[in-house]
Order: sequence, then C-alpha cells, then structure tokens
Amino acid sequence: MTAVTATEPATAAPRRWGNMRRLFRDKLAITAAILLVLLVLAAILAPWLAPNDPYLTNTRLRMLPPVWEARGRWEFLLGTDGLGRCMLSRLLYGLRATLLMGIIATVIGGSIGLLLGLFAAFYRRLDGVIMHLSDILLSFPAILLGLSFAAVVGPGMTAVVISLAVATIPTVVRVTRASALVVMGQDFIEAGRSIGLNDRTLLVRYLALNCISSVFVYMTLRFGQVILLGSALSFLGLGAQPPAAELGTMASAGRNELFLAPHIAVMPSLVIVVLVLCANVLGDALRDMLDPRLRHT
Amino acid sequence: MGVHLLHRAVLSIPVLFGVLLLGFMLLQLVPGDVAQVIAGPQATPEVVEQIRRDLGLDRSRVIQFFIYITRVMQGDLGYSMINNTPVISELGEAIGPTFELMIGSLLFSVPIGIALGTVAAVNRGRALDRIIIAISVFGVSMPVFFIGLMLIMYVGYHWELLPFLGRAGPLWTLDGLAHAALPSLTLGLIFIGPVARMTRTAALEVMNADYVRTARAKGLAERTVIIRHVLRNALIPVVTLIGLQAGYLLGGAVVTETIFSWPGVGRLAVGAILARDLPLAQGSILILAVSFIVINLLVDVLYGILDPRVGKR
Repeated sequence: MTAVTATEPATAAPRRWGNMRRLFRDKLAITAAILLVLLVLAAILAPWLAPNDPYLTNTRLRMLPPVWEARGRWEFLLGTDGLGRCMLSRLLYGLRATLLMGIIATVIGGSIGLLLGLFAAFYRRLDGVIMHLSDILLSFPAILLGLSFAAVVGPGMTAVVISLAVATIPTVVRVTRASALVVMGQDFIEAGRSIGLNDRTLLVRYLALNCISSVFVYMTLRFGQVILLGSALSFLGLGAQPPAAELGTMASAGRNELFLAPHIAVMPSLVIVVLVLCANVLGDALRDMLDPRLRHT
Repeated sequence: MGVHLLHRAVLSIPVLFGVLLLGFMLLQLVPGDVAQVIAGPQATPEVVEQIRRDLGLDRSRVIQFFIYITRVMQGDLGYSMINNTPVISELGEAIGPTFELMIGSLLFSVPIGIALGTVAAVNRGRALDRIIIAISVFGVSMPVFFIGLMLIMYVGYHWELLPFLGRAGPLWTLDGLAHAALPSLTLGLIFIGPVARMTRTAALEVMNADYVRTARAKGLAERTVIIRHVLRNALIPVVTLIGLQAGYLLGGAVVTETIFSWPGVGRLAVGAILARDLPLAQGSILILAVSFIVINLLVDVLYGILDPRVGKR
C-alpha cells in the first residue's frame, strides 16, 4: 500500500542503462536480489536439498534444538519440530509453498489488474466503470477478503490465493491506469493511430510495453505484502492445513512449544522476514530508479 | 465538505450491499434446515415453522435476501450455531476490546511514526535519515505474529514484566492496562514503519514549497517553520494514508487478538470460521466491514477539517 505513489512511467530509453548502472552500484539492492534468487533456487530444489523427509514424524526426536546447541544432532541441522520432523527440510518445503502462494496470487491479481488498468486508460468509456469497481474492491480490506473466502470455501490454500489475488487487483489497476494515462498523452500514440494501426497493436505494442516496467516495480513491492498477508492467514489456520509445510502454518504450530523450543516458531518467521525484506528493498530501489523524485539521497 | 462527504457515503453503499450479500450467502451454506438451526435443538415444531415463515424460507431467494437485510438493520444477526447465543450479543461484547486494542496501538505508533518521519525528512540524506528509513523498511517487513511471539517470549515469559494472556478489564484499571500493554505494543509496532514513511515523503514534498521558503525568509525560527508550516501541511496526506492503512491495522488486529487471546471481533471471526459457525462468522465479518467503512468516513471528515480546500472542490 505504501507504494501507490510510484506511478511515474519509465523514462526515455537511453537513460535506462544509466539507471541500470546505478542499480548495480546500490549494494543493498544487489544483495537483496541475490538473496531472493537464492531463496527461489532453494525452494525449487527443495526435494534435492532437503536432508530428510519433511513429513516423517519421530516421537523420540521431538523438539531437538539446532546443531549449534548442546543437544543438537548433525542429521537435523536446524533441529526438529514438536512432532520430531526435520526443521531444515520443512523450512525448504515451507518456503516452496509460501513462494508459490505469493507468486500465483501476485501474477493472477497483477495480470487482471494490468489488463483492467490498460483498458481504463485506453477505452475512456470504460474508465468510470472500472475505476468505480476497483474503488469498491479497494475499500474492502484484504484481511476481510481472506476471512470471507475462508468462510465460504473453507480454510485452505485456495481461499488464501483467491483472496490475495482479488486484493491485489484494484491496487494494480490504479498504478497501471495512472502510468498508462501519461503514455496515452504522448505523441507516438497519436502517430500510431494516424498510420492506421488497430486498437490491439496500439494497446499491446504502444501502451502496454511502455507501462510494464512501473507495474512490474509495483508488483515487486506488492509481492512482499502478499507474502506477509498470506502467511498471516496461514498463521490463523485459514491457509495451508497441517501437516502441509508452509511458513505461516509452521510458525503457528511453533506457538505450542514457544517456551520449550522457540526455534520451531522463530525459524519460519525469520525466513518470512528475509523474504519480505528482500522484496521490499529491491522494490524500493527499482522504484527510486524509475522515479528519481523519490530518491533518498 | 458536505457534498464531498455525501459522495463518499454514497460510494460506500455498494460496498455495504456486497458485504450483506456475502453475509446472506454464508447463511445459505449452513447445512441442514436453517430454521431448525436458528431455532435451536430444543425448539418445538411450531416455533420452527414460525421462524421459517419469518425468514421467508418458503419464498424466493431475492425476497429472502431483502428479509435478511431488514433483519440485519434491526440488529438481528441470528444465533451462533455452537453457543446458541444471539450473534449480536457476542459481537457487542467483542467490539469494545477490538477498539481498545486499536486505539491503544494508534496512541503511541502515530506520534512516534510522525516524529520519526519528520526527523528523517529534516535530516534528508544524512545517517539519521538512513537509519530511520532502515527501521521503517524493517517494520513493514515484519509479520505481526513474529513481533507478538517475540514479545510474549521475552517481555512476558523470560523477563516476567507483563501479562500476555487475555484481557483483565477496562483500560482504566491497572490490571486491565497491564494486559492491554503487550497486544497494543505488538499492533502499534507494525504501524510505526508505514506512518514514518508516509510522513517523510509528505514532509519532503512540502519542504520544497514556496511558502516554506517564504517562512524562512521572513526570519522564523527553524523549529517554527518545521512544526507550523511543514508538519501542518504534511499531515494532510498522512491522515488520508492512515485511513487507507486502516485495513492493514485491521489485519494486524485479527492476528494480534488471536496470539494474545484478546477477546475481540477478529479472534471471534477466526474462531467462528475454523469451527464453521457460519452465523457467527457472517456477523463478525459484517461488523468488521461496517466499522471499516465508518472509520474511512471519519477520516474523510478529519481530512476536511485539516484541509479546508477539500470542501470547495
């Protein structure tokens, strides 16, 4: 929500490379990008990286601490959870589930929002309807969408992904429309029209391609929010259902052993923090790159 | 001002309609005979038949929906399937604690956030600015439950400074205040970051304005310029943004209530959904949505007071 102001369109093409160089000099943003790539790789490779079966319970090995503590064991590098399952393996699979949830919701909500935002800017007659609808959606807070979908279709990943996607639509519509309106005002749109291009070409080649970068930046920032919200819904028990490994669900399960074995709740929470922090830092850097007015220094 | 507010109020009608439709749909999902469920297991067949006629269950869905709306308007939200208590009375008990929690968190997070944002803007580009930006980015990246669990573990359990389970009474009693401290702190901590960020951006924009240069030029003390000229104008967008973020706060409140067993509407809603107590879920979602609409209207009023130009549009 904090980034709704990032609506400036991409600057002219020659300057983009200068911007890219600046981004590469931004060590923090690069670190965040590298960490994100590593996390995504870890999630993709989870079946090969996980040292143990993430669902295998063992009542004799419950609540083992990580290996660097006195009772730690080498076969469970990060210890075990309340049912004796390997924490490291569950974290890898949990990361996979959380990332997948965030990506699917952001991509679905983002694509629908992008399309509607472009239509609103291109077909002026649709503008009123689309903006009113998105205002209505916007005045329905995401958490209430989550609660409502969970109440209707029952708790589960489907309810969470649907509500996150629906909550993402109106914000993307606004960002896209604002940036598309600026592009619509430029000469080349008129030029394209006058050489007889049809609406589809104008919409895709002239308009969409010129807005896509600012929408993408916004979606990077939105991704962090989606992950936070999704894991909160899972934490409440409305998302992924046990025994499924999902970071929010895992943190929630760790509440029962919070005082005996804090690592069970802390570790999945920390992974969420790193994930969201990286998305936010990267998103901020990308936005500053596109909108120099907001640059920090 | 009046016109502006009226426009906003009219805009919230479709939202209200959507929420009511949702509530109605949820009640359709109740398994078995709705009239029987509402009447309760001990009801005589005559009572069940009476309820069936009152609800219009023998008529079309559209009529049922309108009967539902009139019932909601009269404060009749049905009965909880699990406790068999009226939903409205459960909500009546829960809404107070939720507002307590929200007010408690706003009381410290908004002033701290505004102060941090202003300090950052004044020291733009210096180390202090960077530190505050870092804090606020960290703040918006933290899951609420993580902050809550950490506070419970250290402040509540290891250091034994504050209680962390449930609510002990109204805020003006010492025990009540102590019980409210950790939940309010949890919810407030996630709000400092966004407020600081919004204030910083708004203050930076205002600081370049002509009237700020004029204020400096006529020899006002820097403090006066910042507080009277910059902050007063920067607060206008901040107030609206705080209103927009009310949903974010609501989300935090639902999680915070669950972690601290705080008897509010959020916890009630989650409990009801997990137990498939659909009438109670319907009622709590309805009341949360309505309070959200009301909060946004109040923010609009406040906006009009802070910025007299709004009314003239």
